[in-house]
Amino acid sequence: MIKPLAVATLSTLLLAACAAPTRYIDPAADDGPVTMTMDYRDFERAADAAIQDLLASGAVDRPGGERYVMAVSRIVNDTMQRIDTDQLVKKIRVALLRSGKVITTTAVGLDGAEDEMNLAARELRESAEFDQSTVQQKGTLQAPDLSLSGKIIQRNHKVDDEQQVEYYFQLSLTDLRRGLAIWENETPIIKRGSDDAVAW
Amino acid sequence: MPRKITQLCVVLLALLLSACAPLQPGREYVERDDLKVDPEVRHSLIVTELLQSRRDQPGGGSLLQIQFSVEAYEDTDMEWAVQWFDEAGMVVPGVGVGYRDVRILRNQTRFFMATAPHERVVSFQLHLREDR
Repeated sequence: MIKPLAVATLSTLLLAACAAPTRYIDPAADDGPVTMTMDYRDFERAADAAIQDLLASGAVDRPGGERYVMAVSRIVNDTMQRIDTDQLVKKIRVALLRSGKVITTTAVGLDGAEDEMNLAARELRESAEFDQSTVQQKGTLQAPDLSLSGKIIQRNHKVDDEQQVEYYFQLSLTDLRRGLAIWENETPIIKRGSDDAVAW
Repeated sequence: MPRKITQLCVVLLALLLSACAPLQPGREYVERDDLKVDPEVRHSLIVTELLQSRRDQPGGGSLLQIQFSVEAYEDTDMEWAVQWFDEAGMVVPGVGVGYRDVRILRNQTRFFMATAPHERVVSFQLHLREDR
């Protein structure tokens, strides 16, 4: 009677001892295995390559030292994975803000304002409950000069008994006054691995 | 005797002035090498050049750019990363914190470039290591 219970307990303990412990990963020193799907390293690499190219191009350096105002347009996810394209866009936004050359508007977006508080705060006009001198005045929002749009593409290929997965991070920066793409970039990230690995 | 008094006055005045002078913050600089190559990767490749220049921007400023080339004695998987520093020697963060991995074939020379994330960057440190 006791024997099966002891065996079960011992097996559980043995399995628990073999399991990899949960640990933090330092992104600056991550020697972990590469995944066929897109992980944080791919977004970091794509954003880094795009930002370096964008800054070096001089496209976002405004004569006079003022910052450009940028709106984020559509970034299409044309991959087999469910990803949030903000993983890419946020890195670009942060880097541009830190560069002192571009600031992103949260008041303009294709699906409405990114931060709806921009408009909600203006609905306080005429409200007797609020000190009107602290309410945002008409004509204070700044319209964007630039628009960032792009696409992430995935292509899968079979190479002998391996599979090759290609990701393309394509970005365009449009001058909204003239409607011209003043900067464009494509960063390919190619992975080859076991055919058993899942890339979606 | 009057000469001694004059000398004493000068010394006292000097001491007084030095006591009133604002204290300069002590700052110790440690010289940084521009290039840090891991010993493991030195056996398989050599850094043949490391260049830097400032790229002019339309607004009048400029961005530090570096370019380096490596030549491999054998097929090598290498990783590289750049740290950027401002005039005070403080790190200026870029987008990526991880290493970029590259493969260099035997007898192949490859060139790599990096652009500073901000105009205030004045120096850098390039790290090369074996892909692990």
